[in-house]
Order: sequence, then structure tokens, then C-alpha cells
Amino acid sequence: MLDTIFLGLKMKTPVMVAAGPWSKDGKAIRRALEAGAGAVITESIISDIRPDMRPNMAYDGSGVQNIHLYSDIQIEGWEREMEIAKRGDGIVIASVSGHTPSELAYLASKMEKFGADGIEVSVSNPMGENLEVIASNPQVVSEITKEVVSNVKIPVMVKLSQNTTNISQVAKAVKQAGGWGVSAINSIRCILGVDTETCRPTLATYGGYSGPPIRPLGLASVATLAQSVDLPVCGIGGVETYRHVLEYIMLGASAVQVGSALLVHGSERITEIVAGLEQWAEEKGIRSVEEIRGKALNHLKSFDEMIIEPAISTARGGICTGVCQKCIEACVYNAIQKLNGEIKVNRELCTGCGFCTFICPEKKLNLEW
Amino acid sequence: MNIRHIAEKAGVSVATVSRVLNHPENVAEKTRAKIEQIMKEEEYTPNWFARGLNFNKTGTIGVMIPQVLNQVYMEMAKGVEDVAHQKGYISFMCNAEEDVEKERRYLELLIHRRVDGLVLLCSCLEEQDFKLAEEAGVPVVLVGGCKYNPGLNLVSVNFQESEKKATDHLIHIGYRRIALLYGNASGVENEEKIQGYKKALLQAQHRVEERYLMQVENSIEGGYLGAKKLVEMKQPPEAILTTSDMIAFGVMEAIKDQEKRIPEDIAVVGFDNVRMSNLVEPKLTTVDIPLHKMGIYGARLLFDMIESEEQEEPKTILLQTKMKIRKSCGHKDRIGEMF
Repeated sequence: MLDTIFLGLKMKTPVMVAAGPWSKDGKAIRRALEAGAGAVITESIISDIRPDMRPNMAYDGSGVQNIHLYSDIQIEGWEREMEIAKRGDGIVIASVSGHTPSELAYLASKMEKFGADGIEVSVSNPMGENLEVIASNPQVVSEITKEVVSNVKIPVMVKLSQNTTNISQVAKAVKQAGGWGVSAINSIRCILGVDTETCRPTLATYGGYSGPPIRPLGLASVATLAQSVDLPVCGIGGVETYRHVLEYIMLGASAVQVGSALLVHGSERITEIVAGLEQWAEEKGIRSVEEIRGKALNHLKSFDEMIIEPAISTARGGICTGVCQKCIEACVYNAIQKLNGEIKVNRELCTGCGFCTFICPEKKLNLEW
Repeated sequence: MNIRHIAEKAGVSVATVSRVLNHPENVAEKTRAKIEQIMKEEEYTPNWFARGLNFNKTGTIGVMIPQVLNQVYMEMAKGVEDVAHQKGYISFMCNAEEDVEKERRYLELLIHRRVDGLVLLCSCLEEQDFKLAEEAGVPVVLVGGCKYNPGLNLVSVNFQESEKKATDHLIHIGYRRIALLYGNASGVENEEKIQGYKKALLQAQHRVEERYLMQVENSIEGGYLGAKKLVEMKQPPEAILTTSDMIAFGVMEAIKDQEKRIPEDIAVVGFDNVRMSNLVEPKLTTVDIPLHKMGIYGARLLFDMIESEEQEEPKTILLQTKMKIRKSCGHKDRIGEMF
């Protein structure tokens, strides 16, 4: 078992289900918990429900755009949904979304009363907002966090946005206001594409972008937060396999949320991720998240700290049976040639950038010195 | 058919039938089903008034509406009613016509009818009136700008900051002569809006000119008459702000009747964002007040009190307002941002 303690909550696995339509009501939350999730976050609950545009979700083969406007169940209805969600074991965290401290504190205290184990304050949704989401203003985030924390006894984390100048400052505001943790990142303001025949954008308005393309952004945010703020971090963004979970943990996350993958690959994906992680941990003899948390941060250096090795691209064995010319086409320094199937790297021209080692499908190239 | 007959027919005690009605969770599934079946067959419904006497609850709330024809209050009242309906309550909606005596009379009547609680929209009532409710043990929630509010549950927005935002917006576009037409409705709300207007002007080092600050009736007619005076001035304002969309609609009509263009000759900005503000031509730039949400929270706080066993501390819930930038203010730069 790869257990973890996040926000003071003991979870059997660090894999959680993110706020979204896959946790829209008590039944859906129950299903996700039974599928193995360490905790489930409810779809974001708002003060007054708004009807959704149709369509409100789109996919381009790699990322998802949504303009879906939060839970369609009023706070009163969540009493019943929470009763269903809590009909067995499992941690349920309530996501509440709003604009003012008193509004969010009200929603949070209601959800606490209905049995939520924790609160995720979502002030970073890009849908229906102006260019600046609330989470880009540390002062406002601080006021909101303070009000919510002082009105509930359960742990409170704040969901942060990549759409902000300095995410670390916002997280510090959360900590200073008494927040228990942060989660990052929310979906990113986007337009998925334009149909060039009809001149129409894929969806009718700006929405939130999620899925694998935002994972590198999520990883960078989580690493920054883990390095600069003394608060537990929950990683979010493009998690599709257990390896992605490990990436977030190794960059400092205590837990990880899975969202869009459940939409694209189906709800059983959560079971696969949890099982994959379990197996990996067992093979490595690792029993808790803390043993591996932040391990990759040790290798994350600033430019000042780096020692430059004079490595250049080197072909393993020289002979390449592939018909592709990818390494040759990709080398902006014209350092690679292929003669009679043999890869030759010009040692004078190669700058050691390393791009060819990633582009080669056969993994023939390596940086060595 | 009364509760005794049902008990006899089911072969149980009156107490058991009573429990089925009031605490069904405490009655065995089989017994409950049997009694419910008999009630259905006999078309028995409990006497709700008598029930009210027993439990001190009547399943009713009072909603005080300052002016039933005003869209602002219609939206708020709908918010209250939406929650009340979900809770299985009936709402008595009273039209006070912005008349404090009428409102006071309705308050007394509602208390005598033993409503379980009261939501007062933008109330003109005073301290002694709330004492009456307190003595009768009827919980009260205020919604919007009310004349008297200390120590009471309140749902509102920051009116001063909101009107300041609207004034700032006009200053930012470049207008210097900005007038404010304010309504005659319940004191505090307009007072705060006027403060917001003055604050913005002073901050931008513009003079507050009393001739551009005019009280009118809070209606389309009021706005029309006020704007007519402003437009006929030797040096008419470049922009007219209002404290309600209703006044703004009148302003727009007056400007058009004077054969001037909006916003080229005179810009107009409303307040409230009622549904019609998006339908007039040009579409009205205004301050969006979450009217429905205010009503919803009014009812939420009320039911929290009705259902709570203990006396809770009075709460204040402040909600967010937003500039809705449309065409009537003559500002193009920021329209695209406003999603």
C-alpha cells in the first residue's frame, strides 16, 4: 500500500478524483470511491446554479476544453448527495466556488455540516470569468481563505491557477491565512480551435483547457510550490497513468488528482492508475508517499548551479536500420549524417543540445563525452 | 376521516400514526408502509393548521417586496421563492409599495398569521418594528440596502464600491462632466451609491458639481424627467450615471427625444443589470447585481434559523458585483475582455 497523509487525512492511495462532471452527485462519488480513489472531490458547488451551454465539452485528440458551469445541484440538494456519497468508507472533499469570502464560507460550512471531510476552495476556474481569475490576486485569496478557515473545522485547501504572475506568492497568502494546503493547477483559459470552413471557434466561448498538454505546466507549478512554500501540495493536470502520478509526487506533491482522463478513457481508468501505482511501489519496496516525495527536486537546478559537461550526440553502435531521417532533419546544426546506414555525428558541429536523442524513435542516440 | 380513524383501521395507536406523519424514520418499514397505504386509500391529509399549532410551525414565510412592478425585486423575490418551494414552504408575498406604513402593517399581519420567518427586501422598517418580530420569535433576514440593519442577518452587496466602479469606468474612458441621477428609494442604498460616485470623482481630481447630482423618482418616468433637465442645460453632461436601470431607460428615452445620440453625444450607465438592459438599443452598460442570488441567500439564512435548534450569530453575506460593459457607455477597448 502506498499510503499518504494529505491535509491531515489518511488516504490509502495518493490518487484522488478531481472536481468535475465525473463527481457530479452522490452516486458518482460513491462509484469513484469504490473504484479505488483515495479521495473524491465533488464537482464545484456554487451559490446559484446556471444552465449549461450545449455543447460544453470538446476534445482535439490531446486536450479537453470545457465551458461547463459547475454543479447543477443547489447547495440544499447536496445534503442528500453527501448522504449517498458517505454511505461507505472513503474521503469526500467538497469543492466550492464563488467570488466573495462570505459566500464561500457559507457554502463551505454547509458542506461541512453535510459530512464533507475537507474543502477545496476553487477560485481559479477560468469559465465565465474576466481575464484575471480571483486566484491571481494574493490579497483576495488571503481574505477568502481566512473567512473559510474560520468558519469550518475541517481542512481547507485552495485550488490555484497557472494564469497568475507568481503562483508562489498566492500559495504563501493561503498559508498565511491559515489554509491547510494548495492544489494546482486548475484548467487554463483557452480556445480549443477554429473550424476554418465555418469560421466558428470549437466551443462558443473561452473555456478551461485540461488533459495531457497541461501536465508539464502542472508539474512546473507543483515543483515551484513544493520548493517555495511550506504547505502540502496536491498535483493536478493531465494525469493519465501511474507514472504521471509518480512524476507529480517526485516533484513534491503529497497527492494527485485525476480528471480529464476519466472523461477520455472512462471511469475505470482510476482503478488502473491505482493498481499500477501499487504494483510499482511493491516492486520497489516503497510503502509510503513520503519515501519518494520530492526526490526529483534534488536534481532540479537553477542555471547558476549547473556544471556543463562537454557531451555531444553519440550513436549507439553506429548502424541504424530505421528508414526515417528524423535526426538529420531535426538537427538545426547540421551535425548528423547517415552514410550506408551508419549515423555519423560531426563532433565540431554538434552543440550537445540533445534534441536528436528525443526525436529518434529507435533511441539510437545518446549524449556522451 | 381523522387520525383516530386511521389508527383504528390500521390496528395501531394514534401515536404510531402521528410518528408516521412527523418522524417516519422512527417507524418500522412494514408498519409505515401499511399506515401510508391506508392514508392513501382514505384520502387522508393532515390538518396543516392544527399541525402548525402543535409544532409551532405553519410552513409559511413572509416576503416583503418594496414594489412588485420593479424587476429588481421580482428577481430577488424569485430567488427567495425558489428556495422556499424546495423546502416545501409557501411564501406570502406582500407589496409594500415603498410605503413604510404599508410595510409596517404587513409586518404585523404576517406575524399574526404566524409565519415561520420573514425575508424583507430593501426594507424601510425601523428598529421598533424589528423588536416586534423579535418578541414574537419570528426570525428575520434582510436583503439589499435596508434602512436599519444592525444585528440582523443581511445579504447585500457593496453599493458604494459598485457605483464607484461605474464612475471610475466613465472617468477612465475620458468623460469629465458626469452626472448622477439617483432614485428616491430607501435611504441607505442611494446614499452609498452617491458616496461611491463622489469618491471616484474626487480620486480622479474632478469637481463634484451639485447641478449634475439630481434626485428623481426611481422609475422610467423619473429618469426621463431628470435627463430632460440635464440635456437642456447650457453645458449638458457628457455621461449620465444612474442608480437603477429603470432610471437609465428613462434617460435613454429622453436623450433620444432630444435628438441626441447615445453614446456619441451622451453616454448612459445603469445599475442592477435587469433583463431588459440587454434588450434596449443601444444595449445598456450597467453594474451587474446578483439579484437572484441575493434572494436565494436571503432564504438560505432564514431557513438556517428556522431549522436551527440554537440561536446563531447573525450573518452578513456580501456578494460580488461586476461591470457589464455594453454599448451605451461608448467604450470599445474592453468589450472583448468581458467574458
